[in-house]
Amino acid sequence: MKSIYAIHEVFDAIQRAKAEASSFTTNCFPNNRKLQDWIDRGELFAETFGCTALFGRVDRDFWHLYFCAPDHQQLHAALTNLPELRTERFVVDLIGVAASLEPLLSIFQSTAFRRYKSLYRMARAAEQPQPPTTPADERIGLAHKKDSQTILDLICQSFDKYAEQLPVLSEIETATECHQILAARNGESIAGLLYFEDQGFTSTVRYWLVDRRFRDRGFGSALMRYYLHRPSPVRRFILWVIADNLHAIAKYRQHGFAPEGLLDYVLANEMIPP
Amino acid sequence: MKRVTEILKGIRPEFDFTTSQDFIRDGMLDSFDMVMLVSSLDRAYSISIEGVEIIPENFKNLQTIEALLRKHGVQQ
Repeated sequence: MKSIYAIHEVFDAIQRAKAEASSFTTNCFPNNRKLQDWIDRGELFAETFGCTALFGRVDRDFWHLYFCAPDHQQLHAALTNLPELRTERFVVDLIGVAASLEPLLSIFQSTAFRRYKSLYRMARAAEQPQPPTTPADERIGLAHKKDSQTILDLICQSFDKYAEQLPVLSEIETATECHQILAARNGESIAGLLYFEDQGFTSTVRYWLVDRRFRDRGFGSALMRYYLHRPSPVRRFILWVIADNLHAIAKYRQHGFAPEGLLDYVLANEMIPP
Repeated sequence: MKRVTEILKGIRPEFDFTTSQDFIRDGMLDSFDMVMLVSSLDRAYSISIEGVEIIPENFKNLQTIEALLRKHGVQQ
């Protein structure tokens, strides 16, 4: 794959696939800010096969695969011809409602990918703001930039790097500067954290965790309550959760989240052990 | 237009879609919501919106959605 040096290269490739499309297919929903970050860090690569573009993003010791193709047949041909798929670790996310994903799933499973994990999206609406009935929890506050390495270590220990799109250190530093990470503190230690992203009226929970050493002391619930009830224009909260993580799902339900029918099938190639 | 508003409300009851000119910027719809919205519009109007049309420009506000529906022969 060849390096991508500018955002327009990505959009040009998408446009070429769309121009020839009979049934355009993609898992590439570019967000300019994220694309630019990937390019700046030298993480984004691409290969084209006719009008089909395959993008690879380096993440630690593996790659995320993104595609845009005029139709399923050309996608299949491109996957068959990408040599890196036989030598490097790759994951691909297929996102949509279950029935619409079946044809894509078949294509990837016929090119040496297998189901690795499934995630589904949960959501809840914001409640009307009400005056606090209990005193503010002094254990909860914004994380600081100097906490970033500790936060990264906690996230890496708690989440699956192949399935959960883990951040790099610079993203965490930026998130602390943008006040997007809440920390629960126990003395000098970070006992837990909630990392989120606000976009207009919607807020996404990216990571919510409590360090093993501090579980069953109410840190997780305190973080979530603080997050859900902080002053903000947010009307809707969303998150992705691994479908077989019943413990996390139960916790999210307790806080009012419910599934909304959108799925993310994470597939892994043969280079990633089961 | 009213029917489209109702469909949007069915997907995202917490938002008032008549007050925004940019659903994406305002966080009222994201790329994944667009996939769900397309399924609902297809069903409601017996049309088939192509994958190539599932782009933010077509779902920016009520006017752009209406324009997309007109392309598929739907008269509001």
